[in-house]
Amino acid sequence: MQEPSVNIVVVGGGSGGTLSANLLAKQLGNKINAGRVQVHLVLGSHEHIFQPGYLHVAFVGQDPTEIVREERSLVNQNVHLVEDRAERIDLKSQVVTLASRVKLHYDYLIIATGSVPNPKAIPGFSEAALNFHTSPEESRKIWNVIQQFDGGHVVVGIAGVPHKCPPSPNEAAFLMDDYFRKGGMRDKVKLTFLTPYPRPYPAEPMSRVVEPLFKERGIEVVTFFNVESVDPAKKEIYSLEGESPSYDLLIMVPPHRGADVVIESGIGDADRWIPADKNTMRITGYENAYAIGDATNIPVSKTGVTAHLQAITVTDNILSAIRQRKKLYKYNGRINCPFEMGSGKAAFVVGSYDMPVKEIHPSRIRYMMKKAFATSYWRTLSGSFDWLFGLYFGKTQTVESA
Amino acid sequence: MCPGPITDLFRAYRNANVGDVIELLATDPAARSDTEAWARRSGNEIVAVIDEKDYLRIQVRVVKKGR
Repeated sequence: MQEPSVNIVVVGGGSGGTLSANLLAKQLGNKINAGRVQVHLVLGSHEHIFQPGYLHVAFVGQDPTEIVREERSLVNQNVHLVEDRAERIDLKSQVVTLASRVKLHYDYLIIATGSVPNPKAIPGFSEAALNFHTSPEESRKIWNVIQQFDGGHVVVGIAGVPHKCPPSPNEAAFLMDDYFRKGGMRDKVKLTFLTPYPRPYPAEPMSRVVEPLFKERGIEVVTFFNVESVDPAKKEIYSLEGESPSYDLLIMVPPHRGADVVIESGIGDADRWIPADKNTMRITGYENAYAIGDATNIPVSKTGVTAHLQAITVTDNILSAIRQRKKLYKYNGRINCPFEMGSGKAAFVVGSYDMPVKEIHPSRIRYMMKKAFATSYWRTLSGSFDWLFGLYFGKTQTVESA
Repeated sequence: MCPGPITDLFRAYRNANVGDVIELLATDPAARSDTEAWARRSGNEIVAVIDEKDYLRIQVRVVKKGR
């Protein structure tokens, strides 16, 4: 059998990795069938989780099984699925070594290994706090606990930066408020939002939207609160800035870090984020290796939409190189994070590298759009809906001669 | 778009000891007011804000950290 002439390896089966592999397989189908190209997708897990769904599992009681699917069912038949953990990535010799010691040589590499919640980074956090960023099961625990909660001080917020899905801590506060109001016990609950940032939402235009809504709902905000540690016995939380509020129920977003394979391969910074160009997503110093989504140190929101749009740009560049088209595609930093604000309303955080975040107010129609995005998530992973994304997002990349 | 400079400040503060000086380089002009507000609130000290040609160089001395 003829040896494939081009090997593409995608590491990570989240939003960015799955879409990248599917887009490449769709576009290179003929070459793959002719044995001229192989697209390998290396999976750390056989399950694919719709992570924005954690929020509704935790605070609305959604069935956690509804946000999980088998990765195999989401992947184009022309993709070679590698159900093994990537243990080491050698960018110089262009080899990915798997846990089974199998080595995959690549001509093009996409690293989409995501970010990992790191509750242990804060002493006492794991024992004291619940969180909805780790797994469907951990999110479900929150739903079980709030159903038994009979009143007291609920503290919600951000325990460390950076973290994935920037609006999610605020969304949690809004949905907690909703939950206790619907249960007729809002007057028995003091709700406090802790954030390291100077305002309730880091981007000022959206903070102008959030602040009056928090006030109206009686959600107290404590800014410049960088969590140092938590004492589960005393039920107190301590900040680096010297404050120490007490709590009855603590629900916080843990700090995140990059994946183990990044640090083991020596390709990340001190926090395990991979240095990459913010427009091409090329890993610094390498022409044929890319990093997308949460895995990078690029100053853009760590969200699925970012990973999706970066996957489009990176695969366009790989296709351009394989087809010798001499075009260079550049992602423009477009973000579009759904932001649920309670009472069945939502906004979006919209911006790009050249366009500051806009002030967008919550509405019912935007909530329906958020729901529509969630419902169509599995199908968007095939790349078949990118024409619709294009219509909605407008331009997300530019193209120039390479 | 991303709260970069202030995030970098917090990451440095987490790893700093009392007496250390953190130097923050920021192209975002809001970094100045955000850092000043944080220093006032946390009891830390702005040593200097230097307007370089294309960016701000903000120096913060850590005089207080934790309880």
